[in-house]
Amino acid sequence: MPTMSKSGSMSPLEDQDKLLDEALSVVKVQALQMKRCLDKRKLMDALKHASTMLGELRTSLLSPKSYYELYMAICDELQHLEMYLLDEFQNGRKVADLYELVQYAGNIIPRLYLLVTVGVVYIKTNEQSRRDILRDLVEMCRGVQHPLRGLFLRNYLLQCTRNLLPDLAENDPLATESYGNVRDAVDFIQLNFSEMNKLWVRMAYQGHSRDKERRERERQELRLLVGTNLVRLAQLDSVDVELYKKVVLPGILEQVVSCRDALAQEYLMECIIQVFPDEVHLDTLHTYLKACAELHTDVKVHVILVALVERLAAYGQRQQALGQPPIPPHIPLFDIFSDQIGNIAQARPEMPSENLVSLQVSLISLAFRCYPEKINLVDKVLESTLVALDKIAVEKVDFDSALGKELNRLLRMPISHYNSLVTLLQLPHFGQVLQRLDFNGRKSVALHLVNNALDNETYITTQEHVDAVLNMLAPLICDQPDQVLTGQDAEDFAEEQNLMARMIHLLAAEDTDLDQQYRMLTSARKQFGAGGARRIPFTLPPLIYEAFKLARKYFDVRQEDELWEKKCEKIFTFCHQCIAALVKAELAELPLRLFLQGALAASQIIFGTHETLAYEFISQAFTLYEEEISDSKAQFAALTLMAASLEKLDCFSEENSAPVRSKCALLASALLRKPDQCRALILVSNLFWSSTTKELEGKPMRDGKKVLECLRKAGKVATECLDPGVQAQLIVELVNVYVHFFHQGNQHITVTHINELISKVRQDLLPQLENSDEKELIERHLGASCEMLRHRRDNPSTTSDTPSYQGIILD
Amino acid sequence: MLVLVLGDLHIPNRCNALPAKFKKLLVPGRIHHILCTGNLCSKETLDYLKTLASDVHIVRGDFDKISSTYPEQKVVTVGQFKIGLVHGHQIVPWGDPESLASLQRQLGVDILITGHTHKFEAYEHDGKFFINPGSATGAYNPINKFVIPSFVLMDIQSSTVVTYVYQLVDDEVKVERIEYKKN
Repeated sequence: MPTMSKSGSMSPLEDQDKLLDEALSVVKVQALQMKRCLDKRKLMDALKHASTMLGELRTSLLSPKSYYELYMAICDELQHLEMYLLDEFQNGRKVADLYELVQYAGNIIPRLYLLVTVGVVYIKTNEQSRRDILRDLVEMCRGVQHPLRGLFLRNYLLQCTRNLLPDLAENDPLATESYGNVRDAVDFIQLNFSEMNKLWVRMAYQGHSRDKERRERERQELRLLVGTNLVRLAQLDSVDVELYKKVVLPGILEQVVSCRDALAQEYLMECIIQVFPDEVHLDTLHTYLKACAELHTDVKVHVILVALVERLAAYGQRQQALGQPPIPPHIPLFDIFSDQIGNIAQARPEMPSENLVSLQVSLISLAFRCYPEKINLVDKVLESTLVALDKIAVEKVDFDSALGKELNRLLRMPISHYNSLVTLLQLPHFGQVLQRLDFNGRKSVALHLVNNALDNETYITTQEHVDAVLNMLAPLICDQPDQVLTGQDAEDFAEEQNLMARMIHLLAAEDTDLDQQYRMLTSARKQFGAGGARRIPFTLPPLIYEAFKLARKYFDVRQEDELWEKKCEKIFTFCHQCIAALVKAELAELPLRLFLQGALAASQIIFGTHETLAYEFISQAFTLYEEEISDSKAQFAALTLMAASLEKLDCFSEENSAPVRSKCALLASALLRKPDQCRALILVSNLFWSSTTKELEGKPMRDGKKVLECLRKAGKVATECLDPGVQAQLIVELVNVYVHFFHQGNQHITVTHINELISKVRQDLLPQLENSDEKELIERHLGASCEMLRHRRDNPSTTSDTPSYQGIILD
Repeated sequence: MLVLVLGDLHIPNRCNALPAKFKKLLVPGRIHHILCTGNLCSKETLDYLKTLASDVHIVRGDFDKISSTYPEQKVVTVGQFKIGLVHGHQIVPWGDPESLASLQRQLGVDILITGHTHKFEAYEHDGKFFINPGSATGAYNPINKFVIPSFVLMDIQSSTVVTYVYQLVDDEVKVERIEYKKN
């Protein structure tokens, strides 16, 4: 028997370890003695030692954890005793009055443990009525009213009788009076359960109020002891649905409700859900839910209900997978829970709203898994949520609050489940619930929506849908009244806007309804326009490109639509207006490129006013260049594109084309840096060679004289570069350009031109250069060019359209 | 050595994403180098490429910002090959083989990679190899009506490069193989 620890310097934990160790050593010693006595067949002595050993379980000093360890050690040893007795009985050596013998053990704890052990032996050897013994034992245990000791004693009883209960139907021939039937088994367990629960609840009142927390924790550690009774009930095969409904469940619920202890109720209600089969829950829902309503106010009823709904939803899903109806049609499962949740909300007005919302979340999960086609049920849940939010009269729910998080969860569920914007739009209350969140909440949902749409490539196909979806995405599209306008990272903002931009490509009407697509684009344009100068650089370009694509589509089916030309005109006007808006937002390089793209797009779609439109686009590009682009690098890049685009524009008449070409040449000459001027002039030279006009009907211009003029100008500019290295590089480039036009039949270019340039580099410029990487590069470039020329000179082609390279001087 | 060659994705202005069937093929860990002809055009797309390989080379496309740090052209050496990389909008006329040959001579490369036309090309000319991976997303091009999503994978082994072009035709991935030997 452990004594009170005398040293006050040890910590409570060390105290426990010491006490436990002391107790365990007693157990060890006594168990050894007991076994020795049993070996010598001295039963009485063995029982005395067993009794002493069991005396350790009389302690009040051990914590539940330590007591459990002690208990387990002793149970192990008691097994030896049980086996010895069984052996004696089975070999015909009945021990007389064993039952009475063990009653002489001094204290009640050892006495009862021994009685249980002996009782089990009697049952196993069919000595007496199973039924009677079980009833006796379960009643006798009332003798221990100390909560911890009583719980473990009754647990011992339950474990020992694990496979010995009379699990037979009442009409089973083997279920004799003496043996008993399943009713007796149920009664046994239910009585044990009630008594254990009472002990467990009583623990809450033991000791000082300042130890309340520790007691709660200790009670939690012991919950499995009580729960095992329910497990045992569930393991009875002969309990049919009727018995469960009439006897088992009501019995359990009565105890649970009447004990009025929140901790016990919470655990046991959930235990019932986990332990008994789902089919049976479906049949007893009303009873169970009625009990839920009667639980202590501290019980988190919503957690219990969520567990139950989750369980039944999983059941429904499994049934569906097996090809059965998910829920038997006569059970309106959704309505039952919906009503119940309403009742609970009314009965517990102080329940935090986030708990209510978490119930709605589980309801939606139920709807998805058991009633997948019934979209209206999901909307019903959203409607009830709205009503609940109205009751608490909060303007905008804070995203960071518990309620905000639950609402976020709630809204994400239909998004992630349906993976379809169209289906989402069929939930009229979705948008309304969304509006109750604060800005951060609405934005979070919007981002989830966009990402979901992009990941699943869910297209939006009508203008109404576009409007509805963009409404939901409002936090990403334009500044909101409840938005804090500063502090967002520029990169994050760009990332969000890029997401929106990508989404624009999901706006796609059916190919047979191009007019719808146009309406969608114009409608989207209005919404995105409200985003302001910060956002339109991201959102308008995709719209513009979708418009270009649409124009081409109209062109492709022009036989079927007599209004197609007017429509194309409208589209290009729309694009023009969008690009102009970008200019107003103080952009230059992007709109310039978009104007060029527009000109090219218009040139390819041959409708009445397309030349005018293309001209308008290209002149806007040039205007932007002159008015807004001042950085040298940017100018060169832009001019390159302008010239290159012009080279491809085949829809202009000579009257329109000529001034633009001249302008290009002028702008090339006006660039700040000489090398840029030289290279730009080279680019422009192409405009007189390979580009075409309406009059030429696709044939290239081939104005060799003008080409040579450009190249001569370029050469002159090159010689004005003071750095011989730069000059040399430019002239080698020029050599190649001259050869390029020469080879294509420009008769104004002669072998002499080429020789002069090569000689200039070789004789004049290269010698001026120090040996360096730069010199090496130029020499290599020149070398490769000369290689090519040598080959062409020495291997004249047999076809007549390539010129002769005779006279090229390479050495 | 596997080299991924792609470009002209134009995300998000012209397209929303790389085709799913391409994304499935592009698994990180197998590709050694990426050569990108430009016009990605977003940071997220660049980040994605960086997850596929650690060595990523990009040149500036006409819709990449001037302020971006991408160079106008780049020359990299992979194995025995000197490879030139340019977007191609700077070469006028766009896509002209003679002009591209001229650039090849200037850069002194064995393989010249350009983009911009959104049209796949792979051909030999005067003993040098020219590749255009097309547009990996099949992005809109005002003067090319029939853009097909495509990209190229080069397998470089000593003096041979085997070029695989992946094209998405009628929602099916089609692969072609072209061999080039350096002489």
